[in-house]
Amino acid sequence: MSYFSVIKISLKTLRVALVLASVNIACVIVLEVFTSSVLAQQADSTASISPRKSGGFLADNFYLPNDSMLGFVEVPAGTFQMGSNPLIDPMAFENERWSEARRQGAVDLPPFYISRYEVTVAQFSAFVEATGYRADPMSIQGAPDHPVSYVSWTEALAYARWLELQLKESAHTPTVIKELLQGGWRLTLPDEAQWEKAARGTDGRIYPWGNQPRKDRANYSGATTTAVGSFNCPECVYGLSDMSGNVWEWTRSPYQSLPFDPNDDRESLSEEALWVMRGGAFSDAESNARSAVRGAADPGARRPFIGFRLAISRL
Amino acid sequence: MLSLPAKTSSKGQSRRKGAADKLSPQEAVRTLTGQSLFLVPAAFTFVFFLISFLPRVQSNDVIILSFWLATAVLALWLVVLFMRSKRAGAAKKFILAKPRPQHYLQAMVHLSVYTYWGWYWPPVQEHALLLIAQIFFAYAFDILLAWTRRENYLLGFGPFPIIFSTNLFMWFRDDWFYLQFLMIAVGFMGKEFVRWNRDGKSTHIFNPSAFTLGLFSLLLILTNSTDITWGPQIASTLSLAPGIYTYLFLAGLVVMYFFSITLVAASAATVLFGLSALYYSLTGVPYFLDSEIPTAVFLGLHLLVTDPSTSPRTPPGKLIFGILYGLGVFALYTILSSFGAPTFYDKLLCVPLLNLSVQWIDRAVQSLRDKPALERIGLGVVPSRRANLGHMAVWIVFFATMTLIGKTDGRHVGDSLPFWENACAEDRIHGCDRLLLLESTYCSDNSGWACNELGAHYAEGRIISADPDRASTYFARACELRIQAGCLNFLDPSTVSHTDPRTFDLRLLLRQGGKNLMDMPEDELYERACEHGWQFACRNTISAL
Repeated sequence: MSYFSVIKISLKTLRVALVLASVNIACVIVLEVFTSSVLAQQADSTASISPRKSGGFLADNFYLPNDSMLGFVEVPAGTFQMGSNPLIDPMAFENERWSEARRQGAVDLPPFYISRYEVTVAQFSAFVEATGYRADPMSIQGAPDHPVSYVSWTEALAYARWLELQLKESAHTPTVIKELLQGGWRLTLPDEAQWEKAARGTDGRIYPWGNQPRKDRANYSGATTTAVGSFNCPECVYGLSDMSGNVWEWTRSPYQSLPFDPNDDRESLSEEALWVMRGGAFSDAESNARSAVRGAADPGARRPFIGFRLAISRL
Repeated sequence: MLSLPAKTSSKGQSRRKGAADKLSPQEAVRTLTGQSLFLVPAAFTFVFFLISFLPRVQSNDVIILSFWLATAVLALWLVVLFMRSKRAGAAKKFILAKPRPQHYLQAMVHLSVYTYWGWYWPPVQEHALLLIAQIFFAYAFDILLAWTRRENYLLGFGPFPIIFSTNLFMWFRDDWFYLQFLMIAVGFMGKEFVRWNRDGKSTHIFNPSAFTLGLFSLLLILTNSTDITWGPQIASTLSLAPGIYTYLFLAGLVVMYFFSITLVAASAATVLFGLSALYYSLTGVPYFLDSEIPTAVFLGLHLLVTDPSTSPRTPPGKLIFGILYGLGVFALYTILSSFGAPTFYDKLLCVPLLNLSVQWIDRAVQSLRDKPALERIGLGVVPSRRANLGHMAVWIVFFATMTLIGKTDGRHVGDSLPFWENACAEDRIHGCDRLLLLESTYCSDNSGWACNELGAHYAEGRIISADPDRASTYFARACELRIQAGCLNFLDPSTVSHTDPRTFDLRLLLRQGGKNLMDMPEDELYERACEHGWQFACRNTISAL
């Protein structure tokens, strides 16, 4: 092969690469513009509410947010695409792939409610104080409005059970929530699919606010936790805060390969237990702040970067 | 001023009360007199204080404070006593007697048990320094106590067996270590104050270590604070030393030979072996959880109950004393279980009561005087060395037989958890209680499988009343120990999942009293599990072949 042939092939390859890159950039711009406009519409309806804007947290109501739904936001029924497509999201990890044959899969979920903020130190402390629960002392030492951390999966569930009982009995509980709980809905951790839908909505975005990483939207690549709701995120679906970063969030799903199975994983009982956590933490890079990232931890793990949020759903 | 060496006036000594009363003219070799003798308890106190600066003591604030508090008490007592003695012009005395074999020989046997057991159970090694410190404390305390009550102190090896035998059965955890010094002090005070006349001599009623152990055991049980000592661990880890029954048997022979206590130890052991066998044949389950005679009881019947000063002197009296000890331990095991108290205290609680019965036993057997038939088998009222040797021979044959049929160091049926699962399923007596007890012990040892099983029992409510909160707690613990079934059960207790023990669980479940199986190769572990009745392990072993 002559030098000329090599140069010719190289130039051809370069030209193809340039064309592909241009198309790719164009696609990304179109997608970004499209998602921004959709997000802006969604955000208008749910408007990001910081605790301060909404009147803060209620000390006499277990330090839950002071709004008509105690900080719970409805996620309507419907289908969403779960998992990652590496063509759209080059940072996608292998465990986000739906199956060997498909990159993503459609999951249809009934309606559920999810808390706008991660559970705070003040909320968890109220539980520890009321029940004498022997939690890790580090879990209640942080600032009251920061997300609770150093909580194991079992402690997160224990808190959820306690709070459910309190809300069922408390005179301050909004009627809607009381009716839900009395009607068989449960206050618990969200499952993996609920969490992902709540984070990225139905349009397949990579981050809760869009497809590009934005340090002004979430606490990641940082040094420590921030108060819940510190980051304004008008584009975030359903107006949820900290679905990226701050602390990883426990879910009620055992860690297993996708496709997502809402049923309990009772077939692989001999495996060592691992439970899914989502959302990345303050110390993680942008790749872990993506909505489809799947982390897993030993259910007894108590770490400074693992917390949780709650959901109300019909089980 | 130290006066050396003055021949003791036996007449003068024999009139004094207390420990020195027991001194025969041949034993008292010389006395030391003078105010400078106060330097001896001062030196014991000072060395005791210095030990508090060693790393083992410095590792825990409570132990440091315990040492310093004990030092302060001893120092204050010493100063007061010195001032009073100086003011009165009455010098204190040491009587240096020929060392007594019941002190130094017993102490050497104790020490050999510590060495052998400590070789296999590291906490004994860590405790060694505290044991030495207690000896210094005991000497200082005993001297000051004696000098407070009289002028002389019989200096010998007396405190050694008291400290050693007390610690062979119980010592307090680091955070409660000040109670250890209190326990030792109570033992010496019991020896000093609780006395009676026996055969015309003033002597202590209670075996000092058994007295304080019994008293503290009772208090711990009554206050439900039995977890502040290492007692149960001490009792269960003796079996970590291989062939511990044979070892204790051999060590016991030394004591039997020198102090003629064969009838006490052998009759107690025979009663326990016999009752255990009878119980098993009637019920199909072992009486004691994991042995025919628990190792700590076997130790106790050789080295705790056999103090010559506080046990009967005649052969028939010793026989009755031993039988009563055996019966007492057997009964207390059930009584303590029924109150939900740890059964470990069975061997300790009955000794003081038996000590109280010694005079009664001695009197009762006097009616057996001049019975040639009894004398022929060495059970005449008058003791003889030859008879003791004969009893030792019988005991050796008996123990050898028990060993040959696997009733001592061999594997015990009660070690197997599947045995108790079957016993519970078949509704055999105590089957379910023992199963719950074992699972609870293994759960505390971090076996997630055991925690899940316990949770399942409380969730299902078949063998114990249903208790959802307790079930939840056990499931959560199982889950945190990475048992997936535990997590799923915690999430939804309405459908209880079970699973086979993991390799890590087997390493805990098959320990037989605490043997370390953490490094055992997996194939050996599964083989062992199969031998213990775990069917899944047998399948694993077969498939590996």
